[in-house]
Amino acid sequence: MAELVQALVLGLLIGGVYALMASGLALIFGVMRIVNISQGAFLILVAMFTWWLWRATGIDPILASVVTTPLMFGFGWVLYRLVISRVRDQSASMSVLLTFGLALVIEGVLNVVAGNRFRSATPSYFEESFRAGPISLPKTQVYGFVAAVLVLAALYVVLTRTWTGRAIRATSQNPSGAALVGVGAAGTAALAFALGTATTGVGGSILSVLYPFFPASHYDWISRLLGIVVLGGMGSLPGAMSGALILGLAETLTATYGSLRWSTLVFYLVIMVVLLFRPQGLFGTRLREDAA
Amino acid sequence: MNSRTNKGPINQARAIPRQHLVAGVCLLALLVYPVVNPWQPYPQGVMLLGFLLAIQASSWNIISGYAGYISLGHSMFLGLGSYTVAILALRWGVNPLWLAPLGGVTAVLVALVIGSVVLRTRGHAFVIITIAMLLAAQVFAVNFKGLTQGSDGITLPLPFWDADYQNIPFYYLFLGLLVLTVLFTAKIRRTKFGTGLVAIREDEGKAASIGVNTTRFKVIGYAASAFFIGVAGGVYAYYLTFLNPVGAFAILGSVVIVLAALIGGKGTLYGPVVGACIVQLAGEAATVYGGGSQTRVLLFGAALVAVVLFMPAGLLPTVEARWLKRHPAEVEFTDQAGALGRSPATTRERALDDVAVSVDDNLTQDEVLLEVRGASKRFGGLVAVDNASLTVRKGSITGLIGPNGSGKTTLFNIITGGMSADSGEVCLQGQRIDGMPPWQRGHLGLGRTFQLTRLFKDMTVQENVVAPLPDSRWRTMFADAVSGPEAARAGELLDIVGLRRFAGERAGALSYGQQKLVELAQVLMLEPRLILLDEPAGGVNPSLLGRLTEVIRELNQRGITFLVVEHNLPLVLALCDPVVVFSRGRPIAEGPAAMIRQDPDVLDAYLGDDWRSPAAGEPSDAVQVATPREGRR
Repeated sequence: MAELVQALVLGLLIGGVYALMASGLALIFGVMRIVNISQGAFLILVAMFTWWLWRATGIDPILASVVTTPLMFGFGWVLYRLVISRVRDQSASMSVLLTFGLALVIEGVLNVVAGNRFRSATPSYFEESFRAGPISLPKTQVYGFVAAVLVLAALYVVLTRTWTGRAIRATSQNPSGAALVGVGAAGTAALAFALGTATTGVGGSILSVLYPFFPASHYDWISRLLGIVVLGGMGSLPGAMSGALILGLAETLTATYGSLRWSTLVFYLVIMVVLLFRPQGLFGTRLREDAA
Repeated sequence: MNSRTNKGPINQARAIPRQHLVAGVCLLALLVYPVVNPWQPYPQGVMLLGFLLAIQASSWNIISGYAGYISLGHSMFLGLGSYTVAILALRWGVNPLWLAPLGGVTAVLVALVIGSVVLRTRGHAFVIITIAMLLAAQVFAVNFKGLTQGSDGITLPLPFWDADYQNIPFYYLFLGLLVLTVLFTAKIRRTKFGTGLVAIREDEGKAASIGVNTTRFKVIGYAASAFFIGVAGGVYAYYLTFLNPVGAFAILGSVVIVLAALIGGKGTLYGPVVGACIVQLAGEAATVYGGGSQTRVLLFGAALVAVVLFMPAGLLPTVEARWLKRHPAEVEFTDQAGALGRSPATTRERALDDVAVSVDDNLTQDEVLLEVRGASKRFGGLVAVDNASLTVRKGSITGLIGPNGSGKTTLFNIITGGMSADSGEVCLQGQRIDGMPPWQRGHLGLGRTFQLTRLFKDMTVQENVVAPLPDSRWRTMFADAVSGPEAARAGELLDIVGLRRFAGERAGALSYGQQKLVELAQVLMLEPRLILLDEPAGGVNPSLLGRLTEVIRELNQRGITFLVVEHNLPLVLALCDPVVVFSRGRPIAEGPAAMIRQDPDVLDAYLGDDWRSPAAGEPSDAVQVATPREGRR
């Protein structure tokens, strides 16, 4: 019983972190219909930077997101303006290929600069746990979860309570309609992309503590994140949240009762089953396509 | 279709096109190379890996180039082929080369399973799943130690031939496979299957409406794109004599496939091969002169970004476009003679007779062909179609008029399967068709045109007309689309609308009115009983419009029933009988044209209650200039 509770709580904690990481992907897809394959590479980039920052200054890796988040916001904005916006009018597959290429560039640069070896940020509390009766929760997981939830809450406030957020949501629902009432699509898209990228500022910092990483880890991460958004319904933020929780739970439960080796495969299995029975994902809706 | 006369291909038989000639010369040179220069293992090794890449890129081209569904995990099939062959060769003690085709079989089976799950819908799930499956295959190969020996890998025996021959046998094996692959992709492109794949890339919804079973086409296309990679994987395993999960399912392998096809020109026949040569040579140069294989990721990534940004069409199409710009073809698009002119009367008559629906003797003229009962469709709070019923009698030209937003197009979409109704039934000749996918309705003889024409703009006019499939037989699917009866038939249909001389042009280059006529010819390829025309006159000039109505009348005389949505009321009143008037999602009146124009309800719906007040006395005049006044939408 304790084992089950432990697994469930742990799954929830991991799911929360996944939710944060996937939220950026869902946001970017929702507004721009761009599947940002480089989102995983952004995470690894931030993780690497956080690790370096932690080694150089001793700052807590999770707190380092205070630095990395604005940096990634700016990075995302510039990237959108300079590169991504150029394929706006082309078919969706070109944006997939473009972001895939960007992911490779980031991986390649990290390879050259940092070398191809595993890293992990290990702050002082790295091996400590919170204990509640028979349940023990690693402090890193708990802190990571708390940070993720805080950022998600902030994201929610930005999207629902600010003009920028309303502009982003309006553009994601009806770009031409938004443009008609004075919301510039290009500017909004750049903001949304920057915001989506900024979430990796926190996500990557958390990642650097929770998981060992190396430049090519981004494939692993992007396929997880993509699985989450497919499960939840592409472009739906609530969908990404619930998809993340479900897959976080599925992963820990398999690791607890099955074997760690197969836990990643469960991920893919869940996705296939969902696609088989509900192709639009849990929260996805089919919009009318006839009205131009 | 009793008397399809074969009048030969539309395009006059030409000499072998230049590109095939160049390809032939290159092939000859490659065949001769090891004979002329036998003791050079290094260039041979580089070249045979180039062939391998070209095989993969050409295969990838089928699903991602033709059908436009990008796969980022295509190297998975190479690994699957390798593992299948290696495992079986060791178990059975057979030489791996004999088993290479089985590698292809495994690849096809896996593609069928993944494809039938993921490709049922449109959209982005496919590209995502292809990456995920590649990584899943790697995890699987690492963990399923009983079968794959895990991370330790599998070691195969060395090739049986004398070491003096070096890699020459592999060189020829891969070259042979490459030739087969290119012939295979060329053959596919020439069939209606290939035309259908391109149609899916250009406009999937439209493709479904002309009888293309999009799910089946995509799944088969995906499987077809896996086969030769799987076979090559088997040979590759023997070449390497060692297999491990990380090497066999490398994501970088997929990257180079995509890159090669993209650089050369995706969707073209030779583009992927040309691209593979470039990528292989550049990659080799980078390894030798650059910082080793570590920099390859950076190089390939940067190349991918650069190609997408600066040469998205790829090398061959870009070069071709330049060449065409310098040597423009002489076609006068502005001249309407082609569209208006008459082909020899006999040809036209025969073509029209071919279209004629064989009249079933046991059916009377008054029989109901299409019946919609109580159909409703809501979009959120908006009720677009509200418990509407409609009957179309066989042999009629039924008109459907109504203000904008009254639900006419939504009703069309419900009838043809573009969207499903929330409730209600649709029957064609007494058979329930709601619930059927659009292509199946097409096979039953239901065709439609669109309000804004939806031709496949990058295909030729000829290909557009050949693309529809009148039935679901495999034989039809793999019928030749370039020459033979199907192409001849397309030519006849173009004769009917008077546009045969544009057969070789890009459909997107035609005028809007001409495109409307081509779309009609396209629908006729479906051998329809009932054609739904959505605003056929919109944006068409008067002379072309005359031609259009003439064609509609002639087709109707030969047994084809029409349901026409149109705002040009004089046209509707002249052409259609009966006329049904739609307002707020349901029919409010039905009857002969003359009656409809006097009906006060109709005039209310069109003009509002105050239509009577202006001095213009005659309602029929007012109707002609009517601008629909509908508050809600």
